[in-house]
Amino acid sequence: MVTVEIKTKISSLDERINAMALQGESPLGTQEYFVNMGPQHPSTHGVLRLVLKLDGETVREIIPVLGYIHRGMEKKAETLGYRQQVHLTDRLDYLCSVMNNWVVSAVVEKAAKIEINDRIQTIRTIFAELQRVQSHLLWWGVFGMDLGAFTPFLYGFRDREKITKIFEETIGARLTMNYIQPGGLMYDIHPDFVKDVKAMISYMKPMFKEYDELVSGNIIIQERLKNVGILDAQSAVALGASGPVLRASGVAHDLRKIKPYGVYEKVDFSIPIGTVGDCWDRYSVRMLEMRESLKIIEQLIDSIPEGKHLTMKPGAKIRPPAGIYYEQMETARGIFGVFLHSDGSEKPSRVHYRTPNFHNLWCLTKIAPGGRIGDLVSIISSLDVVVPDIDR
Amino acid sequence: MKTVIVARPGDGNFVSRFFYGVKSLLTGMRVTFRYLVHPSTVVTQQYPENRKTLKLAERVRAQLSFTFDENGFHKCTACHICEQQCPNASIHVMDRKPAGSTKSELDTFIWRLDSCTFCNLCVMVCPFQVLKMNSNFESSVYDQKLLVYNLTPYAGPASSVLMKVADVEERKKLIDARGPYDGPTALSGFPLAGISKQVFPETTQIGAPQ
Repeated sequence: MVTVEIKTKISSLDERINAMALQGESPLGTQEYFVNMGPQHPSTHGVLRLVLKLDGETVREIIPVLGYIHRGMEKKAETLGYRQQVHLTDRLDYLCSVMNNWVVSAVVEKAAKIEINDRIQTIRTIFAELQRVQSHLLWWGVFGMDLGAFTPFLYGFRDREKITKIFEETIGARLTMNYIQPGGLMYDIHPDFVKDVKAMISYMKPMFKEYDELVSGNIIIQERLKNVGILDAQSAVALGASGPVLRASGVAHDLRKIKPYGVYEKVDFSIPIGTVGDCWDRYSVRMLEMRESLKIIEQLIDSIPEGKHLTMKPGAKIRPPAGIYYEQMETARGIFGVFLHSDGSEKPSRVHYRTPNFHNLWCLTKIAPGGRIGDLVSIISSLDVVVPDIDR
Repeated sequence: MKTVIVARPGDGNFVSRFFYGVKSLLTGMRVTFRYLVHPSTVVTQQYPENRKTLKLAERVRAQLSFTFDENGFHKCTACHICEQQCPNASIHVMDRKPAGSTKSELDTFIWRLDSCTFCNLCVMVCPFQVLKMNSNFESSVYDQKLLVYNLTPYAGPASSVLMKVADVEERKKLIDARGPYDGPTALSGFPLAGISKQVFPETTQIGAPQ
């Protein structure tokens, strides 16, 4: 019999700040001081508060403080039926809402043993990849803006609008989709869907060259990103990072390859991997991922199988047998997992979301100390945090 | 697993870096300059100037509304399925039993835009396809209380029952008019500066429980 003793020390923010203030002396004999970055700060992408211990311009330590956009999603989920769970996940990582919907639907389908056909799987995969491109385009625009370049923001939003139009046509929403339901999809694809997606792909391909000319090749951008915020592979795994953040550190981990879901095993695509793990690698990994996503869509768009878009009645009651269920998928920011504990009734007795941004954010405490405040902004942006997903 | 290693350009000595830097800045400027001299590439929409030509997609979910048949009657039987499916209690179906009848019929259909998340579940589960999301996205008002709507223009039975009554005058006796802010959870607001009177129809009895 092995007993594991778990020791946890819960300390308040005041205690941590006081403990930090007593540590160490600055080598120059200068005074260290504390500054709040956020919760209302344009480059923290939402209400994220960072308590910084600074020595001049240099960041010595950093504490992320959460709770400013806590909505009690997991508790709220216990009061809702299985079909109504889905729309809550739109409000977690709002840039990956279709992928979040898919994970919840997949875990409910797994629990209640709902069969779905190939058409549903193919359309889900296409929408997930469209959303990945859309999400990365928004990130690219905002990333430029955080580094002080306003132009990429407009370019990113202009091209994101092409994909948003496709979503608007088929789903009817631009941000909070609630498209993927347990047992299928809310609507079948729009008659113009295939044509529009093909037009979007042929429009997007030359645009990547423009992005490289405008931002990636720019010497100022390169100098600001290279060797800034280096996250080694070991710490990335230890901190639970996932998605582009993990892959930029050189760990080839992508659930689409390791444990394929949807129709990912039928398509041919590659996983971009970084070598150093700095901001530049995280940037380049996402830029390459967009191209790979378009490749996936291209392979699937011509061969959407025939079939129903919903395999069960939209009002039918779902009662999964009692048990514990877990499902995870690769969203644009990393692994999003849903843990579901069912007691056999119409409502789950416990729901837990494993969100990618929460784990990616804590990489900040590892990589930001030692850098400058200006670098901190590019590091936060390169981690691509979405705050409602951290706090839920 | 098929992987690609991302490129790390721009390594070299100081001189080559210098010339690379100058070239990269000029390349970036060329992109913006190209858009400057090509005004046809501008994608900005001039809202609200383009209001008349603005066409949104058919499936856009902006406001919940009722669908009516050619006589102006709806098919709602007040079955409460939409109310049960609504995740955040944005729908209240108020039914009534007319004198001498055992079947209940729709009185008011309260929809709260202020708490609605536009998840579309009510539209999906409606057995008679009465509910529909329309694309009327300009829903801002001066008072939050004005966001509690009654969607049905009349209280009365579904169109299938009404059409059995042949006489048009008899039909009118079965139904009572309802305004957009009628109902037990209705508006108890007051006229505000900037809102003309017609926002409050005269038939509306503000705050009066039925």
